[in-house]
Amino acid sequence: MTAPIPTSKRKYDLNFARWVRDNVAGGDKMNMCMQCGTCSGSCPIGTEMEDGPRKLFMMIRAGMKEEVLSSNSMWECTSCYRCVVRCPRGVPVTYLMQGLAALAAKEGYAPKVENNYFSKFFWMSASKLGKTDERLVPTAYYFSFGFVEGIKRSLANLKIALNMFKAGRMHIGMPHKIRDTKGLQAILAKAREIEDRS
Amino acid sequence: MSKKKMTYYPGCSSQGSGRHLDESIRAILPDLGVDIVDIDDWNCCGASVGNIGGGPLPNLALTGRNLAKAQEEGNQDIVTGCAACYLNTHGGNEKIKEDVKKRKQINEALAEADLSYDEDLDVHHVMEVIVNDIGMEKVEELSTNKLKGLKVAGWVGCQTVRPFAETETGGKYATYEDPTFLDEITEAVGAEVTDFAPKTNCCGGSVAVMKPEKTLHLMKTILDAAVESGADVVSTPCPLCQTNLEMYQDAINKEYGTDYNMPVVFPSQLIAVAMGKDKEKDAGLQRQTIRSQKLEDMAK
Repeated sequence: MTAPIPTSKRKYDLNFARWVRDNVAGGDKMNMCMQCGTCSGSCPIGTEMEDGPRKLFMMIRAGMKEEVLSSNSMWECTSCYRCVVRCPRGVPVTYLMQGLAALAAKEGYAPKVENNYFSKFFWMSASKLGKTDERLVPTAYYFSFGFVEGIKRSLANLKIALNMFKAGRMHIGMPHKIRDTKGLQAILAKAREIEDRS
Repeated sequence: MSKKKMTYYPGCSSQGSGRHLDESIRAILPDLGVDIVDIDDWNCCGASVGNIGGGPLPNLALTGRNLAKAQEEGNQDIVTGCAACYLNTHGGNEKIKEDVKKRKQINEALAEADLSYDEDLDVHHVMEVIVNDIGMEKVEELSTNKLKGLKVAGWVGCQTVRPFAETETGGKYATYEDPTFLDEITEAVGAEVTDFAPKTNCCGGSVAVMKPEKTLHLMKTILDAAVESGADVVSTPCPLCQTNLEMYQDAINKEYGTDYNMPVVFPSQLIAVAMGKDKEKDAGLQRQTIRSQKLEDMAK
């Protein structure tokens, strides 16, 4: 995953498409897309996307690297997999959307997209504690928008938190964590190293 | 079916928002013929954003560790009740099994903690086990406390049925566009199935947690249909669906001027109540933030 991204020089520049194909899992299936739009039409949250998956795939073919990697589209994906089961050409659309988001994050395009904060805090909890802390991840995410916004969003969710606490579905105290956090962290560090070298 | 043993992966929600899913699964499976032993010191599956936050291989390594720890419990198959856990663990397991290079990479990482995964285990969703292995006859037979008159809208959601639809190892439900298994469970426990169309609609998943304002309309569609169908409760197998649809009803009412107060329960809770299990300890009914008096009155 260390190859430089080719820059587009012509209107239809396949270099970026080739690069995506080679660097995003499932990217080799993207050339099966026939632009029918079943994916975007089936998307529950397509109205929130700047570009639906169909358009995004065409933009990739057109070599629109900047526009693709800075699009909000892949960050809005709810992972419902409706596009995956409905694609008549077997394109693993949801997986490609996640792959493009990971790629955008890695290439430094994503920080301005707020979903990226959420996945960062989520990963912090999963990799350090070995478990998702349902209190810390959203709270850290709220405060990533600044202190005032953090307070505002936390207060907006206070009633939900109280209800969850009363029902015993949220606890007070230290986060749950696995016993062998050291072992897990060593495994993940190694996996990262392997991914970076291949 | 003779007594079956499976390794159980509870997942993070089992200690938080989805405790009632975990409790009801543990309460019903042994009676239904499945003894479970937990994966020791299991970790998070990565859910739907681990891939982005951690990268593909570290995310897969989360599953690799769970599989390696599951293997230590024996070579029986794994079962999980959480849709995201199923998505990652089943999907990751199949990837590792079919890709020699991936397995080698994962094992190289696992060796850092003296672990390895060399078995060919299978990972199943608890719904799949109930539908395909246990069977509705068994559920019906053990449902001695029939939920007569309870009207149930069966909402399957996304990740339980869709990601592995029509794959050899994934699910084997009748269809993914119009799955019927939730309604079959409703009938098996003696309750009444309502005519509920958006059974595989999306609630917004983790986007609903991040930006509820963008997904309230998705959940409203589901509530509209449930209320119109005359349902007393919505039944869903997914812990995130359950929590989202329950906790955002206030926000939906505020945004759209509705007055929804629809209980959302797990099918495993309905089975537990129908089996005459304890309404709190086994069925976890006290964990609903929107409670169903009708269901609680039926419970022992």
